[in-house]
Amino acid sequence: MNQPEKDDPVEALLQEQNQYVNDDGFTARVMGALPRRRHGAWVRPAVLLGAAAIGSVLAAWWLPWGNLPPLDWSAVDSLDFQALMPWMSMLLVAASIVWAVVAALQWDD
Amino acid sequence: MTDADLIARVLSREDQNAFAELVRRYQSPVRAFLARMTRGDTHLADDLAQETFVKAWRKLHTYRGGARFSTWLFGIAVNEFRNVARQRKELALDELDDVAPQENQTAADSRSQLHLDLTEALTRLHSGERAAIVLCCQNGLTHEEAAQVLDCPLGTVKTNVMRGKEKLKRWLLGYQDYEPA
Repeated sequence: MNQPEKDDPVEALLQEQNQYVNDDGFTARVMGALPRRRHGAWVRPAVLLGAAAIGSVLAAWWLPWGNLPPLDWSAVDSLDFQALMPWMSMLLVAASIVWAVVAALQWDD
Repeated sequence: MTDADLIARVLSREDQNAFAELVRRYQSPVRAFLARMTRGDTHLADDLAQETFVKAWRKLHTYRGGARFSTWLFGIAVNEFRNVARQRKELALDELDDVAPQENQTAADSRSQLHLDLTEALTRLHSGERAAIVLCCQNGLTHEEAAQVLDCPLGTVKTNVMRGKEKLKRWLLGYQDYEPA
């Protein structure tokens, strides 16, 4: 732990200049600006997390993971959206689920 | 009543009186720190301080008690200042000219003059040095706590304190004769 250098005039000057700032209504202004705390603030992230979990299960269950056509890299190069559509759909579903989970975990009221 | 007691009351009962007591306890150091960081713009400093306490209210459940409450508050205040400094060029300007503010003066001729010089000299420090000096030398934070507040390595804080004090000594011509009141 750093100790104040008692013999250092600059440090003494700094400490002496550190004067108390009068409240002058500051606390009242802060209290007036406080947002109302929401009861059950955990509900919305919990719902989002639950929805993401259900979405994950449904995606795992219903999406045709086994019937995906092999990824054709030439279609990627040529931006052939029709050929890429099944993979893009899968990617979109996966990204949505990841986003929902992250949003629920980082929920900041 | 300790800070921990007040925080517990806020969290368990949403006790606004307990939070008001926390604001009263820490408004002075937080506002003074932000006034230094904004180079004396007390209106902006008070706006930032108000936002600091509002964020503290909203995020109090994330305070784990591992650090002092003041350290946690200063961390929020630093983030508020950085957010504004990104948008306001005059705050983002780091070090002003590395010359003594009162270069033509042979020596500070009085205690009050020396205090004025110190205020001016602090505004001329690099913002990292100014923050480290104000946190460690005026608010009694350890170097470790300041590193946590400023989200930077411990060595950076130590260097900034040392360099900042060296500059202040160079700029404040009358400081050698200064005797604390």
